[in-house]
Amino acid sequence: MLGVQFGEMPEAIYNTAVYFKNTYLDSWFDDEFVRRMIKSVDKSIVLGDALIQSPVLGKIAPTQLSGGVKTLILIYYKPELVFNASTCGNNCAWWILRMASKRDITINLRHLMVFGNGKFSIRVLNSGNVVHDMLGFIEEYDVAMNGAER
Amino acid sequence: MKGTYDIRIENARVQFKLTLTRSLTVIRGNSATGKSTLVGMVAEYAQDGQASGITLSSARPCVVLAGRSWKRDLEETKGSFVFLDEGNTFTRTEEFAKAVRNSDNYYVLVTRESLPMLPYSVEEVYELRNSTSRYPGIRKYYTHARRMYTQIPHITNPQTVIVEDSNSGYEFFRALCEHSEIECTSAHGKGNVLAKLRACASERILIIADGAEFGPQMEAVLELAQRKGAGLFLPESFEWLILCSGLVRDSEIPKILENPSAYVESREYFSWERFFTSLLVERTQGTYLHYDKARLNPAYLASRERSLVEAQVQQTGIQASPMTDL
Repeated sequence: MLGVQFGEMPEAIYNTAVYFKNTYLDSWFDDEFVRRMIKSVDKSIVLGDALIQSPVLGKIAPTQLSGGVKTLILIYYKPELVFNASTCGNNCAWWILRMASKRDITINLRHLMVFGNGKFSIRVLNSGNVVHDMLGFIEEYDVAMNGAER
Repeated sequence: MKGTYDIRIENARVQFKLTLTRSLTVIRGNSATGKSTLVGMVAEYAQDGQASGITLSSARPCVVLAGRSWKRDLEETKGSFVFLDEGNTFTRTEEFAKAVRNSDNYYVLVTRESLPMLPYSVEEVYELRNSTSRYPGIRKYYTHARRMYTQIPHITNPQTVIVEDSNSGYEFFRALCEHSEIECTSAHGKGNVLAKLRACASERILIIADGAEFGPQMEAVLELAQRKGAGLFLPESFEWLILCSGLVRDSEIPKILENPSAYVESREYFSWERFFTSLLVERTQGTYLHYDKARLNPAYLASRERSLVEAQVQQTGIQASPMTDL
């Protein structure tokens, strides 16, 4: 299941781009799931040997991928860590849910990520509540981030 | 600093264009639209100038603020366009908000965090949009900043109106609503609008907030408003509505309203809302329309005065009958 901690989280890795730059391995880009995420979010194709063809930037290194897809890859390879997923746009939300359907992951959010109009299961760690749609998720966001009442 | 500025930055592969109108501009949106590439190119040009291979067209210096020395760097930065990429923990601190408030720069913040300490406008939240080269054989991407909130839901004839304000603006809208038998409630601040909207069971809800400072709240409120079928009315501010109404006779006001950016000194006014309040207070001082933000001068509810301001909110469908003193 996906766990979300809203707001400050000292143990979370905030600057995911820096963490990615210093920890990624070339072998990560041989994985089919990683390649699909890169294709979906960045519209880029892994050519091999961690060389990526970007439609905008040409042939690039993994460090030039978008902040969102770098964070997705970190979540995929290091599920035991918590990353600041506010570096991810809403076009990453589906992939986060997909990864969480296979294993437990926790992300830190400092904004309202939109997980679409369907049903999902997210445990909001601030309250311990499990929500199943965006209305419930917005309520949890409001309580956690704005100190609002239920 | 005041004024509107166009910035163009490009290399062989990509060109970015954006226009800065106010002291705070926020860029967010989907991943992989080029936000970090933009900031990276600004940083490279700031470091190496034309020797970077980047071309920058800007009336003011463009710099990137990052790292632990941000405060010292900012103290030395004046009259510049300051870009900040996501990943800087200091952007959400009160210390940063204070430093921004007292500086003579325009800021471009690449972040999805709401940053409630910074009163940015809903008009100045952008996403980057790409188009490919217009010339055959030349592979280049053209990227421009497009306003994020162009599809704001409207409703007319609401059952319930939620006003962000609790002062003069609220008093005015409450008076209109009472006459139209519409429930009107104050959220007592921007940060409470989402909770008010969540709690409201009406089928037709209208939210009225100062667009000039509602940027930090907009994303979540808009998301919920769309799901509940609620509408949003986001004038710059209540004071702006009064100034637009023509009620205050002053030959300079129409010129200012036509191009506020040319008049709003960023060091003096953290947002346009504060500028318009100051302008209205100043131009009505010593007249029967003297404006007090904390408490509505009853003169604004007299039939003629009220109807002029009311005309500015006609699209909301909340209006009293003509020529009735409230």
